[in-house]
Amino acid sequence: MTKQIFLNLPVKDLNKTVDFWTKLGYTFNPQFTSENATCMILGENIFAMLLVEKFFKTFIPNHEIADASKTKEVLIAIDTESRDAVNALVDKAVKAGATEHGEAEDHGWMYARAFLDLDGHGWNIMYADASLLQGQNAAEVSNHAQQA
Amino acid sequence: MATQIYLSLSVKDLNRSIEFFTKLGFTFNAQMTSADATCMIVGENIFVWLLAEKLFQAFAPNQEIADARKTTEVLISIDVESPAAVDEMVAKALNAGATNIGEAEDHDGAYSMPFADLDGHRWNVFYHDEPVVKEQNGAEAANQTQQV
Repeated sequence: MTKQIFLNLPVKDLNKTVDFWTKLGYTFNPQFTSENATCMILGENIFAMLLVEKFFKTFIPNHEIADASKTKEVLIAIDTESRDAVNALVDKAVKAGATEHGEAEDHGWMYARAFLDLDGHGWNIMYADASLLQGQNAAEVSNHAQQA
Repeated sequence: MATQIYLSLSVKDLNRSIEFFTKLGFTFNAQMTSADATCMIVGENIFVWLLAEKLFQAFAPNQEIADARKTTEVLISIDVESPAAVDEMVAKALNAGATNIGEAEDHDGAYSMPFADLDGHRWNVFYHDEPVVKEQNGAEAANQTQQV
């Protein structure tokens, strides 16, 4: 089993991006920070490497960087500790320049809101109480979780 | 701090993708599996939703699904328990139809190898000695992290 995950995402302006995520309360590992990249700490074992485009491109020779404002390869969902925390985080994101993406989803056992960051990467911020999951069928669950 | 992460990736053929990742040793949450989606268990708190394109599209309205064979929005780096496990997982992936997109890299205790899955999503499988190498300058560290 994997113990750590690093998502590597291209960003157009690293300073603006660091400023954005700092406003949301995230911190960075200075050991993995340069003018080309920083390592954002999302969770104890969950990290996002934010890379300036020219640096990101060196890892995908012969490939284009997807324009996340127009196309999507990935949607990223992370949890928070409460419904209030979901609201607080997304409100901060919007205030810091993100675009809210879709409506808030409230399914009782799960509450979520989503935003697109400064580069268009899609983030879903969710709070879920798995103890309320019992008895739902798989299709519903998969639908709900996707909307989170 | 997030305690869980769920990535959503679009796949052209869900059954083929399940078969592919099963060959790599991953398992799936049956409760969160339907005709259009499955939840792959990557780590204790790390999950990847594999979504049929029409369902993925529902969560990215007004956007194109990126063709990951041509453009890249994200590189997903996951760790395994040893260098041998890196080789083993990538060998299984290539046997199961993945695309070889680079050679193994070995830098200062970090060993890694990438592959592109059946839909072109790019994975980097890595192992590094704990603790993470210290006392490097930022650029070197960022570089190294990228290569792990």
